Amino acid sequence: MRIAVCVKQAVDETELKVGPNGVPLIAGAASKVSTFDKNAVEEALRLKSAGGGEVVIFTVGPPDARKAMKEVLAMGADRGVHVVADTEKYDSMLVAQILAKAIQKSGPYDLTLCSEGSSDTYSGQVPPMLAEFLGQPYAGYARKVEVSGASSKVERALEDKVEVVECPLPFVASVVNEINEPRYPTLIQIMQASKKPVEEATPEALGVSVQHPLVRVESMSAQPTNRKRVLIEGTPEEAAAKLIEALAKEGVIPG
Amino acid sequence: MTQEVWAFSESDAVANETLTAANEIANAISGTAVMIEVQGGSPGKASFGRKLLLKGTAASADTPEFTAEVMARAAKQANPAVILVGGTKNGREVSARLSARLSRGCLSDVSKLSSDGRTLSGERGEYAGKVQTRVAADLPCIATVKAGAYPPATGKGGEVSEVQVGEVQVKEKVLSVNKKVAAMVDLRAAKIIVSAGRGVKKKEDLAIIESLARALGGTMGCSRPLSSDLGWLPEDYHIGLTGLNVKPDLYLAVGISGQLQHVAGIKDSKVVAAINTDKEAPIFQAADYGVVGDLYQVVPALEKALASRGR
Repeated sequence: MRIAVCVKQAVDETELKVGPNGVPLIAGAASKVSTFDKNAVEEALRLKSAGGGEVVIFTVGPPDARKAMKEVLAMGADRGVHVVADTEKYDSMLVAQILAKAIQKSGPYDLTLCSEGSSDTYSGQVPPMLAEFLGQPYAGYARKVEVSGASSKVERALEDKVEVVECPLPFVASVVNEINEPRYPTLIQIMQASKKPVEEATPEALGVSVQHPLVRVESMSAQPTNRKRVLIEGTPEEAAAKLIEALAKEGVIPG
Repeated sequence: MTQEVWAFSESDAVANETLTAANEIANAISGTAVMIEVQGGSPGKASFGRKLLLKGTAASADTPEFTAEVMARAAKQANPAVILVGGTKNGREVSARLSARLSRGCLSDVSKLSSDGRTLSGERGEYAGKVQTRVAADLPCIATVKAGAYPPATGKGGEVSEVQVGEVQVKEKVLSVNKKVAAMVDLRAAKIIVSAGRGVKKKEDLAIIESLARALGGTMGCSRPLSSDLGWLPEDYHIGLTGLNVKPDLYLAVGISGQLQHVAGIKDSKVVAAINTDKEAPIFQAADYGVVGDLYQVVPALEKALASRGR
């Protein structure tokens, strides 16, 4: 089975700093492969180990996005396709169009996997849009993927129910993080990842015009954390009494 | 002709919230809010004000693809200025598909929507809740409305019109649906939540957390490891970025370290309190009151202190 996996180099939200004017410093912030993308890669590797085939990583991003690519190649993926682009002003639609073209050009693939959303902006739009542009069936929020022959069964984890859907191959799925536990690459795998082939492309070469994203960012501001941060000390009994008193004063528990 | 602002959700509760957002935008652009019901899919029963009933047929009509195609066909005819979709998991898929099918911009999971008649903008939490971003798209466009961001609409039903869109091809087929066992109560509506994290050593010990929750008249929730990794509680207890966003009066985090993804789900709480053995745990930075201590001692002490107050 040939499997495409889409990954994003995301801003590391834990390292994100705020400038003096309250504006988050997105440009130049530390980055990493989007947390949940590793679950998509893990699932692809699991399916490959069951039925053989190839796992190819796709990413759209600046030259620096090669780091994210390397991180997941080290997990065991075979090779990569990196569409080099300054994605700062791109919306989900542009990214999905570019990924679709890149996947079509390098394909055919039996399955395309994404995560449910990126750990930085978490809008979750790219996977269903990608299915639209590929013209393929889509199963979102998958917590289990089973492929047999030309068909698949996918368990979708929705808010109040679990739905089992059947998708004929080829199809697109987005996975939730409970689907598996991503493996940690060994030192040898990390070293070998640099030698794995990564093909480069550009949106222009793929025939996607990136001039007019439909969604734009108007402003960003750091979310103020207005918590009081009062530390209560003492024996468990003393601390418990003080906490109850404080909460009653706040009016959040019956006085 | 006045511009239409459509509101749709496959969930009745969320549909009414979405309609409130649609009413606000309709007011702003002197348009009309229209509740959309897609028949053949999951029928939304809410019907305050005008309603448009869209009918189509398909082999698998209970899928987001069906809903998206039916709405896309109707939208090509009626050309609504704004389509608002409730921010559920299926809602996000419907709106993304609509966006691709209609080549319209789509704002994802926004609240505080506003429009000047030319563009639609809305706010969304990003970077695990660290940043509020205002995103915008030119009309006509689409947005998913963050669940819980607007109060449900009330009022009387009005004029209902019907549109037939015909046969729809759907590529997915639903084989079965298992309703999850519902949580004790809906955590999104809870006033007091006592939430358990990795600091709880074994599943049986959740009893002391649940007991404290009950003593406070609240509900138990948990952080991701307990539901996703350990499976001690069902997914509907999971609070955080990829789980529930909650906004209780009191959120008491017990044995939760306070990863950003968890904090993202509790930032709308009025008061946050935390109990953790590790003084350096990030949860204390995100809490109003912190008790550094062993939950196995502090939780029973809290319950005792509550009881001695004669509650």
